[in-house]
Amino acid sequence: MSVGGQVLDKPETKRWYCEPCGFVYDPEEGDPDGGIPPGTPFEEIPDDWMCPICGATKADFRELLPGEFPDEWGS
Amino acid sequence: MIRGYSHFVTLAESLQWDEKDIDYSQDRASWPLLAEDESAKVLGLIAGFVIAESSVSEEIRSYQAAATDESMEAVFRAQERDEERHARFFDLVAADVAGVPGADAAARRDALRAHVRPELVELFEQRLPATARRLAEDHGALTSAVGLYHMVIEGVVLLAGQHAMLDTLEGLSHPLPGLRKGVELVLRDERWHIGFGSRIVQNADLGRDEADAMLAQGEAAAKVWGNLITPDAIDGAVRQHRRRLKAAGIKFW
Repeated sequence: MSVGGQVLDKPETKRWYCEPCGFVYDPEEGDPDGGIPPGTPFEEIPDDWMCPICGATKADFRELLPGEFPDEWGS
Repeated sequence: MIRGYSHFVTLAESLQWDEKDIDYSQDRASWPLLAEDESAKVLGLIAGFVIAESSVSEEIRSYQAAATDESMEAVFRAQERDEERHARFFDLVAADVAGVPGADAAARRDALRAHVRPELVELFEQRLPATARRLAEDHGALTSAVGLYHMVIEGVVLLAGQHAMLDTLEGLSHPLPGLRKGVELVLRDERWHIGFGSRIVQNADLGRDEADAMLAQGEAAAKVWGNLITPDAIDGAVRQHRRRLKAAGIKFW
């Protein structure tokens, strides 16, 4: 995003964290193998969707707070 | 996926439980009333878990020694505590609910081997110990060893067995609520173990051969339960294994 020649950071995308195993759902990536196309907000994922890592339910996820785990994000 | 390991220790601390706090009185009353095929199936699954948990609680020490940093070592230590508890839980159920004979856990484990397929015994009493021995000699083999332990054994074999156990318990003519409660708690622990293993795999620069081996091992291992779990459950475990590996960053060619 650019305003008056100044490049601004895009608004932080909301990510969701699987509390049982640590998997992070990124809406930009979705979960194509789980039937969730890239670009799907977490709120629009069906309730019967399961974590691709551990099989936990959607209800086991919580929204990550801005800056949470700042030193541990992967590339 | 978050790349660090330290939060797994915090998570493990928050999930502690004690197998002796579970009430097995209803289970003891129900067991003699179960139909023969019901008790045979539950006992087969218990046998598999007794053999599996006993093995993993021993072999994880080699993994701990091969940890690449202190945070990873601390997580392996937390996992070892879980595995030891799981082994005590399934042995307690075998002895006090199912009445498996034996003066100690090792004797009861000996008695239970006849209730599972030889492939399951071979996986836990030969292949995993051999992998742990190799890891003790070569710490560089950690990723492939985690592939066998966390991704194949925990992610495919044990997870499929836990779901099969919960499905079986749901349909029994007489309830076993203590066993059910314990299996639910074991399953809760397994989720973070699998997450931890997936993290290690994701952080590693995995080659094609290692990735292919991990996939093939999972597909073969899903069958070690034999007819104690359904073909649909085996297919589901394999699908989830492949999906988990992809989510952990492994690309299949």
